[in-house]
Amino acid sequence: MAKKKWLRIHAGLLPYDQALELQLSLVAARLQGRLSMDAVLFLEHPPVFTMGLRGGRENLLVSEDFLAERGIAVIQTRRGGNITYHGPGQLVVYPILDLNAVRLGLREYVERLEDVMQAACADFGISAIRSPANRGIWAGPRKLGSIGVAVRKGICFHGLALNVNLSLLPFEWINPCGLNGIAMTSLALETGREVSLAQARQSVQHHMAEIFQREDVPADINHSQLTIANE
Amino acid sequence: MKELHELNLPEDVRYSQDHEWARRENGRMRIGIDDYAQDQLGEIVYVELPRTGEVFSKGAEFGTVESVKAVSELFMPVGGKVTAVNTALADSPELVNQSPYGEGWMLEVEVTDPADYDSLMTKADYLKQLKAEA
Repeated sequence: MAKKKWLRIHAGLLPYDQALELQLSLVAARLQGRLSMDAVLFLEHPPVFTMGLRGGRENLLVSEDFLAERGIAVIQTRRGGNITYHGPGQLVVYPILDLNAVRLGLREYVERLEDVMQAACADFGISAIRSPANRGIWAGPRKLGSIGVAVRKGICFHGLALNVNLSLLPFEWINPCGLNGIAMTSLALETGREVSLAQARQSVQHHMAEIFQREDVPADINHSQLTIANE
Repeated sequence: MKELHELNLPEDVRYSQDHEWARRENGRMRIGIDDYAQDQLGEIVYVELPRTGEVFSKGAEFGTVESVKAVSELFMPVGGKVTAVNTALADSPELVNQSPYGEGWMLEVEVTDPADYDSLMTKADYLKQLKAEA
């Protein structure tokens, strides 16, 4: 049987609010049948802290003034999980999938996102593990990749964030994921060599398609208008 | 996930497209999520419900459930005014998994338009829809 196709969109460096708007427009297009296939976004965010549905402000260890001076916003979201940090050098992947159409339960979906990150880490010689402490993937006691998902009428959005070569300093200003005293790490730190975002993206992209058994259809985003490249 | 024939789908409720159920009880309507939805969500760790007195139209978002790292929105199977919410879910959200049509109920509403209920699916219609989706 032919693999189901999905749009693969490289959105570059995209501010958090614009990325959310893009996701919501894709979810709406999917629900209304204007978009006949799933989509997966690959991007980076400029520095930003985001809190989950159940908050996380209590896990912000510095004042909002301190962050404002550095031009970093704190955004309340409605995804799962607690507070986290996004910034350049972190690969963010937002799959927009109709979970009901593929009969995928949320636990299984989250596990697949972990599988993708583990497989990508293995490509760089890192054997990442799962932890009972929290979802996501870990290099020993250090967290490498995080997950936070939302679902609207069976269509998922938000997704995963894999630390590639970002500055880890801002994570010291929070209890990441609401966990006290955990250290964050990155592929660059764990391998002890340079890992570019493009290399990591290529690996994650490959494993996304493999683990979700999809065929990529490269697409471009022009604000709210979706155009499929090479068509 | 459960196979369709394994789903617990009682005959005394009606089902919505969004996998919520509604049951007539003493002139009011009780609302919750069905076995398909709780199975799809996995272990529920948090339920966010509206306050008594709030009014929602059919299809409006009335709350959210959080399972492992995932937040899902809930939609009204019928329109109406909330007359009671299941406060037990604040401390025991797992009741939704354990007993989606019983102790895991979510809202009781005073229905605005009784025709909303009639437009929901019977078990047989709902099963047909699930089979068509799969």
